[in-house]
Amino acid sequence: MESPFSQAGFRPDAAFAAAAERFFELLKTFGMPAAGRPADWSALTAPLAGQFEQWLRASQSAGPWFSGSGAPAAAPGLAAGAWSFGPLPLGPAAAQTHEAQRTFELLAKLAQLQGQLAVHWSEIADTAARRFVARLGTGAAAPVSLEQSLKLYELWVSCAEEAYGATVHKEDFSRLQAELANTSAALLVEQRRHAETLVRAFGLPTRNEVDALYAQLKELRRQLAELDDRTRASPAAGSARKAAPSRKARRSGKRARGPRSRR
Amino acid sequence: MKPPGPQPGVDFAQLNLRMAQILVRLRQAREVTVGCSHKHAVWRCGKTTLYRYVPLATARKARKRSDARPLLICFALVNRPYVLDLQPDRSLIRRLLEADLPVYLIDWGDADEADRHVDLEEYIEQHLGGCVRHILASHGIESLNLLGVCQGGVLSLCYSALHPQHVANLVTLTTPVDFHTPDNLLSKWVRGLDTALIEASGNVPGELLNALFLALMPVRLTQQKYVRLLTGSPDERAIEDFVRMEKWIFDSPPQAGAALAQFVRWFYQENRLVRGGLKIGGRPVRLADIRQPLLNLYALEDHIVPSAASAVLGEHVGSGDYSACAIATGHIGMYVSRAARTEIPARISTWLKAHR
Repeated sequence: MESPFSQAGFRPDAAFAAAAERFFELLKTFGMPAAGRPADWSALTAPLAGQFEQWLRASQSAGPWFSGSGAPAAAPGLAAGAWSFGPLPLGPAAAQTHEAQRTFELLAKLAQLQGQLAVHWSEIADTAARRFVARLGTGAAAPVSLEQSLKLYELWVSCAEEAYGATVHKEDFSRLQAELANTSAALLVEQRRHAETLVRAFGLPTRNEVDALYAQLKELRRQLAELDDRTRASPAAGSARKAAPSRKARRSGKRARGPRSRR
Repeated sequence: MKPPGPQPGVDFAQLNLRMAQILVRLRQAREVTVGCSHKHAVWRCGKTTLYRYVPLATARKARKRSDARPLLICFALVNRPYVLDLQPDRSLIRRLLEADLPVYLIDWGDADEADRHVDLEEYIEQHLGGCVRHILASHGIESLNLLGVCQGGVLSLCYSALHPQHVANLVTLTTPVDFHTPDNLLSKWVRGLDTALIEASGNVPGELLNALFLALMPVRLTQQKYVRLLTGSPDERAIEDFVRMEKWIFDSPPQAGAALAQFVRWFYQENRLVRGGLKIGGRPVRLADIRQPLLNLYALEDHIVPSAASAVLGEHVGSGDYSACAIATGHIGMYVSRAARTEIPARISTWLKAHR
């Protein structure tokens, strides 16, 4: 059984290394004021916000819905490429001009939505940094030990999640997430339509044809199950079924046990 | 990666050493096994497999033959059920077996392109219903106990409302009922999804759902938990436990497009369990039709299924014997935390024994 974990996908060591790197970067920032001395924490607002925004842009990309070519995965160590809404290997160039137009429109819309998302990342990062500095107050000294740095880190995580939560619960953000998903899905459907055109040209069955066959098969299964239920529900039919010769008996020419069934 | 240079106040040399040690251990632990209790496949339908767990030797010795009603566990479609039997000391299933309960588990398997049109009716009536009918026939009984977990709890509620004669007692664990509580971030995000487009896109890969769940709290779920490894000096065993959980978290199966689209539309968008109007296979599903004894367990710090989303179940069911219990943990904590090892299985088995 394939899974993103067991195959070339998620690697906990890679995720850990990425998180550790980000942690070290934060420790460096926390240590910027001279250790042990009362610090002017407000000077950290801009670098903290900048780092966080960069991380949000890189890790959240266009939200969980879309991982276009070159877009980093949502979580470090999680392989991109297995996404439903990613572009097919067949680019817009493979389609007819009029068909490609719709794809280009969708790609443009996606870029525009990603731009809107970036505004939110910026807002979240700025709020998180300001909140962090405000919570530290003016009297706090720069950390002198790992334990003190860790306390700062935990505070930073709380501030970051609070700022993130405040924005992502808002209606406009939720609407944007849905629009991103819908545009990504529309792009995928459009690209598959192009692929179908090519498939048809080679005389291969298309998705629609396979789906139609599946629908027929499903309907036949349903009818068979209904028939089976009715047969089981009817005692007369049940006893007749019992009396019918088995396949093996029919093959060997022997009669099955029980009374002979009427023809 | 670039290790940090010397900084005043923080012993980075020690931190770098720790990081290197943990990296090695994480790499060594990548092949950890999951799932510890013996089970046999007893029935199949499409990609769905019904497993029966082998009773434990200790339970067998205590009683020659269990006369308890079989318990069928219906897990979510969006995650793998082995989290309920991750390892011997973190296994809800093992604790239930120790309580001498005959345990069955539904594994929905991996939907492939042939399953893109499998809908909720098929999952509930044919797959879940087929499992129930198989167990009833095997045991020669008319009803069983049903334990629905998370999304599987929603499917179990639907099944119990449609086929009350087959379900003697119902237990729900971290099951969303009211999908429109104000703290339900997932619900807010998917409210505007075009479900027809989702369905037209085919199956939805598990990786996408993983990313969606992680995006609910990205700093805690993709950063802080790893940093805590770095600062906590975990031993080899703790690292293995951690990797087992990681393996489960990132091992979500692909979702049949039709079923997922219906789930999003009917439950997340239209909140039909609470507002009404839900139909499965043309038959109305009403929570008021659930009159069996019902035990509802939910987590107080659940970021996926907020406690308020579960807690309302008692207000909507018709059961005159409804008990609820809120556990002080998170969503995943309900499956693997200390409470999951002790309190939750004890509550379930005690309640089921009182409802024979």
